[in-house]
Amino acid sequence: MRRGGSALWLAPPLVAVAAFALLLAFSLVRMIHVENDMRVDAEQNMLWVMHQSEVAARRLSETALLAELDKAEAGELALRFDILRSRFLLLNDGPQRRFVDRIGLGEDLDKLTALLDRIEPQATAPPQEGAQGLHAALAPFAQFFARAANKSMIVEWNELGGRLETYRDQLRKTIVALIGIMLVGGVLTAALFLALRHSRQRNRMLRQARDFSGLLIASSGEGIAAVDSAGNCTLWNEAMADMVGRPAQQAIGRPLSDLAGFFDLAPIRTGVARALGGDSTQLRLQPLFRAQDAPPLHVDLRVYPMLDEESIVGAILFLHDASDRHAAQRKDAETRERLEQLVGERTRKLNDALQRERSATDLYRNFAAMISHQFRTPLAVADSALQRLLRRGERANPDEVAERATRARSAIAGLTRLVESTLDAARIESGQIDARRESCDMAALLHTVCDQQRAAAPDARIQVAAERGMIALCDPVHVEQVLKNLISNAVCYAAPQTGVTVTMGRDGGQVVCDVHNAGTPIAEADRPRIFERNFRGANSVGAPGTGVGLFIARTLARMQGGDVVLRPCDSGTIFRLSLPRPESEAS
Amino acid sequence: MRNKLALWLATALLTAGPVAGGDTETILRITGSIDQPAATFDLESLRAMPQTTLVTSTVVTDGTHRFTGVLMRDLLDSVGASGDIVVATALNDYIVDLPMSDFHDYDVILAHAMDGAPLERDDKGPLWIVYPRDDHAELQDIRYDYRWVWHLSGLEVR
Repeated sequence: MRRGGSALWLAPPLVAVAAFALLLAFSLVRMIHVENDMRVDAEQNMLWVMHQSEVAARRLSETALLAELDKAEAGELALRFDILRSRFLLLNDGPQRRFVDRIGLGEDLDKLTALLDRIEPQATAPPQEGAQGLHAALAPFAQFFARAANKSMIVEWNELGGRLETYRDQLRKTIVALIGIMLVGGVLTAALFLALRHSRQRNRMLRQARDFSGLLIASSGEGIAAVDSAGNCTLWNEAMADMVGRPAQQAIGRPLSDLAGFFDLAPIRTGVARALGGDSTQLRLQPLFRAQDAPPLHVDLRVYPMLDEESIVGAILFLHDASDRHAAQRKDAETRERLEQLVGERTRKLNDALQRERSATDLYRNFAAMISHQFRTPLAVADSALQRLLRRGERANPDEVAERATRARSAIAGLTRLVESTLDAARIESGQIDARRESCDMAALLHTVCDQQRAAAPDARIQVAAERGMIALCDPVHVEQVLKNLISNAVCYAAPQTGVTVTMGRDGGQVVCDVHNAGTPIAEADRPRIFERNFRGANSVGAPGTGVGLFIARTLARMQGGDVVLRPCDSGTIFRLSLPRPESEAS
Repeated sequence: MRNKLALWLATALLTAGPVAGGDTETILRITGSIDQPAATFDLESLRAMPQTTLVTSTVVTDGTHRFTGVLMRDLLDSVGASGDIVVATALNDYIVDLPMSDFHDYDVILAHAMDGAPLERDDKGPLWIVYPRDDHAELQDIRYDYRWVWHLSGLEVR
């Protein structure tokens, strides 16, 4: 539709141009005609030729007259005759002769030529003889030339008039053609002027539109960049320069990937390629790392193809700084995480509290069971000793009294220990015990504990193999209790007639102490549970104890960064205490 | 007037010696600003000068003709002519002013023969000023055509 319209619009100027060319060619042909016709040929100067001939004839006639009077030289007469003869030669020559024929005097000229030949002897003879009658014979010549001149004038003027008329006619036609040319030229000029004005108007509108979009782009808060189909930057606004940290002067004409690593990322590269292929892309919260120490931005990116009327000429990218949104999202996530953590912590604390509560309940229940079980024997021992003493009364000798009293006291002391260890376990469990950490000589501690054990159980055979100067980082009070628990356990569970072996040494960054006793090994089923509080293994039936010794030992060791483990052993049982060595020693 | 007198003198001289005749007759007289009061030439002396041949058409004949003669500038140089105008006079009293520049711009000759035959007085002889009409388009103009003086008898340099 538009195409047809523009062709119609083109028709008048094209017609005008054709008319212009036609008229110009027409007038050119006319002018060439006139130019050719305007040459003047000498043959058209016949009036002068006739006049000169008449003069020659009259001069000869005059000379002949003078000769008759004997007043002329013979040579003069010959000269005049020759001159007249030359006129006849001229008139009979090509162009002149044709003209004479045309004016109808050819025959007369022939006659006069013959006459001239006849009178030649008269003219060339000595004057006195030849001149007679020559004057009379020459009479027709002047008459002929006068007539010829007359006719020549008329013919020449007629011809001239005719030619002038032709010229005028040609010129008139040329003038008309020129007027036509002027009119067509005027039409063309007007068309040109209109076209120019139209084009200027369109240009102005285009410029305004461009300026407006330029203003929009420049003042946009979004970063806007455009690339041509080769991927080179053609547009780079102020906001984009701020975001990427590159001014437009550096950006224009270069590939985007040269400008920032951001544009070289796979999703962005793909987006631009897709846009150049005709599809738009939106990417959310892409990190944009900027030069030096500037914090990274998080941007939303949109890429659209730029279309000409029918083809894709490039791609346009919009970068929206969404760092605030990103920060808000992250803060939300952090808050949620902290809440979860808080809830988890609280839950753990509640669980711990619940655990402790249960432990307390267990403790009481176990305590009651243990008391009913463990306390009965020593109480019975003490009671029977004291009853004997009462029964014997004064019969009892001092040795007997001392022996019975000591047995009663020993039973009571056992009871006190049971109570203390039970309380210890309770304290540990409720987190009421702290551990100090200092460098302690483990060997010295071990010897002290072994001495105490030997004193308490003189029958026990305890062998110690320990070097001096075993330094560990620990709380000596707690370590003493751990060792005491382990060794007394070993003594308690050792098979009759066997001893207890305590070995101390270094193992890497730790001081380790193995307590070994021969005897019934701990049942396989009991092994995982023996460190539980108040657990008593199958082999402990009949042995006094509360079931908290190993629990306390392990808990205390762990509080100090060490551990108590049950080591595999073929003959008897080995418990190992390990404690960290000071950093300066552990090498 | 003076030319006429000169012509008369020349005629008188010519007729004084009837036996003289032939090629030694004076046929050209050059006067005016030259290196002598008057220079005269006969056909023999003209033939003795360097000859030039020119083939051209004329306005009074059909076809082309071969003219033989002397270059006008050579002739005028030989008499030390200095001036802008040369007044040519013919036996039939025809007088015309020829610009001196013509002889330097074009090879104008003073012809004494046409197509190998001497020019006769009862034709266009004995001397005819011939312009190289066919060699120069600008010479094909009536303003040059009248400079072709035949029956030439005198030249006066001004």
